[in-house]
Amino acid sequence: MNTVVAQLQRQFQDYIVSLYQQGFLDNQFTELRNLQDEGTPDFVSEVVSLFFDDCAKLINNMSRSLEQPENVDFKQVDSGVHQLKGSSSSVGARRVKNVCISFKECCDVHNREGCLRCLQQVDYEYKMLKTKLEDLFKLEQRILQAGGTIPQVDIK
Amino acid sequence: MGNMDTEERRTDQFPVGMRVLAVDDNPTCLRKLEELLLRCKYHVTKTMESREALEMLRNKSNMFDLVISDVEMPDTDGFKLLEIGLEMDLPVIMLSAHSDHESVMKGIIHGACDYLVKPVGLKELKNIWQHVVKKNIHSYKRNIGSSRQLQPSSESNPATSVSRKRKEKVNDSGDDENDSDRDEDYGDGSEQDGDESSTRKKPRVVWSQELHQKFVTAVQQLGLDKAVPKKILDYMNMDGLTRENVASHLQKYRLYLKKIDEGQQQNMGPDAFGTKDSSYFHMAHLDHGLRDFPSTRQIPSSSLLSRSHLNKFHPSVYSSINPQGINSSSFIQQGHHHQNSNSSSSANPFGTYHHNSLLPRSQSVNLSPLEPLQFPRNKSSAYMGDFKSIGDRGLGGGFLDSRMSFGSSSTSLPSAPSNNMMFQANYTQPLLRPTEGNQSCLDGALSNSGVHGLSRFPSNNTWQGGLKPARFPSNSLPLNHGFNQDQLTTYAVNNGMEDCTSLVSSTVNPVGENMHCEPQLLGDFIGNMNTLEGQKWEEQSCNLLNNPFGNLEYPVVPASNMVFRDNNNANRSKELVDESLMSPLEESATTLNNHQEYVGKPENAGLVDNQHDVFDDIMNEMMKQDENNGMVSVATRFGFDSFPPA
Repeated sequence: MNTVVAQLQRQFQDYIVSLYQQGFLDNQFTELRNLQDEGTPDFVSEVVSLFFDDCAKLINNMSRSLEQPENVDFKQVDSGVHQLKGSSSSVGARRVKNVCISFKECCDVHNREGCLRCLQQVDYEYKMLKTKLEDLFKLEQRILQAGGTIPQVDIK
Repeated sequence: MGNMDTEERRTDQFPVGMRVLAVDDNPTCLRKLEELLLRCKYHVTKTMESREALEMLRNKSNMFDLVISDVEMPDTDGFKLLEIGLEMDLPVIMLSAHSDHESVMKGIIHGACDYLVKPVGLKELKNIWQHVVKKNIHSYKRNIGSSRQLQPSSESNPATSVSRKRKEKVNDSGDDENDSDRDEDYGDGSEQDGDESSTRKKPRVVWSQELHQKFVTAVQQLGLDKAVPKKILDYMNMDGLTRENVASHLQKYRLYLKKIDEGQQQNMGPDAFGTKDSSYFHMAHLDHGLRDFPSTRQIPSSSLLSRSHLNKFHPSVYSSINPQGINSSSFIQQGHHHQNSNSSSSANPFGTYHHNSLLPRSQSVNLSPLEPLQFPRNKSSAYMGDFKSIGDRGLGGGFLDSRMSFGSSSTSLPSAPSNNMMFQANYTQPLLRPTEGNQSCLDGALSNSGVHGLSRFPSNNTWQGGLKPARFPSNSLPLNHGFNQDQLTTYAVNNGMEDCTSLVSSTVNPVGENMHCEPQLLGDFIGNMNTLEGQKWEEQSCNLLNNPFGNLEYPVVPASNMVFRDNNNANRSKELVDESLMSPLEESATTLNNHQEYVGKPENAGLVDNQHDVFDDIMNEMMKQDENNGMVSVATRFGFDSFPPA
């Protein structure tokens, strides 16, 4: 048992570190994790769910705005990018946030093509992160179910 | 050290349970913010809609200790929330993803206590309670500080002795009045207190009517060209006022004068007020405040203002006559209601003056040193006392005695010549200064723009349009008849004040003198004031606030110093300007944006319908605010009670 827990914990640790190392996550995610405690055991998953829902919605809206080449509502797109950037930075979704930076630049110069590319990229990134975090949470659950505790991970 | 320990102990309890209103339209950010705040042990209310936040703030002014809000919410304006919070004397922290200098500056100038860049961390939020403490301390000091009122040190200075007398007189009427003095005083004094946080925001100096009058007198004495802050400061002789305060005020004043000048030369449109709008308006208010608008308002229906009176107020007369004298006496006799009815017996040059000063609009600005009535601020009656003192100061004093009563219409004119100077200086103010009570147009404009910045002005902002002073060549102004409806209409239409004409019609004979010269504007104002009470600030503010912050011309220090926001008088701004009124003034609205710094709360508790009540209203508001923010809450906050976890 202990070995199982220990193993799971090690797995968890490695996984989460790799996420940081690959740039999926940054220190804001650490902050989120720090805010989670016995009183709020689901805080992180709650917030990231909100984030992913947000992403889906914003991407959808922006996609509609960018759809017609002659009639792009860049203002709306800009607003969407702004929101996306804000939420991604607050949860520590680093890659998503970085795409938003480029996205904003394309939007500023009314580059529809560029925006479409960024949109696609942002979509890819958030979905990727979503998958990764889902895996991470599953790992957490397994640890807890095995009677262990989630390790505190120090990210350098 | 011991004191500090006690302080810490007392405040230790306080941050726990501090009631924060968190606003952000981003659900992810909001949830995280909430958790961060909960982690700091604050009590958190969150909402994604600023509309809802505004409602909560309005309905229960006591519900929160601090507001923290995103500024870039697409559907709403974080700055509006800021304004409301400020009106209610709540510390407002702005959150933004933008960390560029300009954005931060904008936030601070608008009166944010702090500006945090997203993503916000726990460490930053752990200390936000200090802003609440600061505000409370400020109110606390104000409440107890009567003995620490700033007193001009020179006894011999007639102005100061008069002003002290006024203070005493005011004090006699009760504690309420003290607040107004103290507000000003503390505004100045706190500058010195050094209790500012490391954010280096200076306490705001509140340029009350009286203070402004001193300032103007000083400038006049020194001569505008030679007026340097140091000398002005020395002349004013007010403890607690720093050279910086004076410098920034002087800068604004100069701009204001310049605008008036420019305005004189052209149709004063909203753009005349350009980028320095906020300064301008503020100045206009200050100057205007001396006018006794309320009195003018009340006049309309009264027979006091007979045609003959109007004669007296011919602009040219004004320029030549010491308007104060005439006006004051006439007004006094008219029973003008200066806010302080007791002032009626003493020639209150300023009170009456403002009426006159409205006339001059058409005259060129002549900042003669004699200018007694400077820009009377459309201030509510609270400043009536100022009038008196100013008058006593001598510029108008002499006239008062010799003033002709209303009765002698024709005689007043001839004596005018000697006082040319005085009057001219005055008027440059835009007509916008309608009646005191209602808040001159300018005030309105100011209010609109700064909304709350013009803390002392009864907000009636109906005016907005007022930015265009009527141009009445002084000679052409018909003395004998108040503007007639057609004139008004024409004028109004010409000046984009279509909306106001109907209002004006109801005030054909209003303020009498004022109406003359600036019939439309005055009438409009008056009418507006009368009828447009309770306009929706929000809309106005929205217009104003939505404009990108204009010229950040004022240096940070002055801006923060000059926030004419009376923190203690967080009157809800009933003075919101009616949006409809604003419409012709889009341009001015734009320019008014620059007044955003005046997002403080208008001191006035609302449109001043009844001059007599204005002062009381203000005082009551102030007392209420003080109650809310003052001793009681301070005591609570500092652990005398258990902190109520709302």
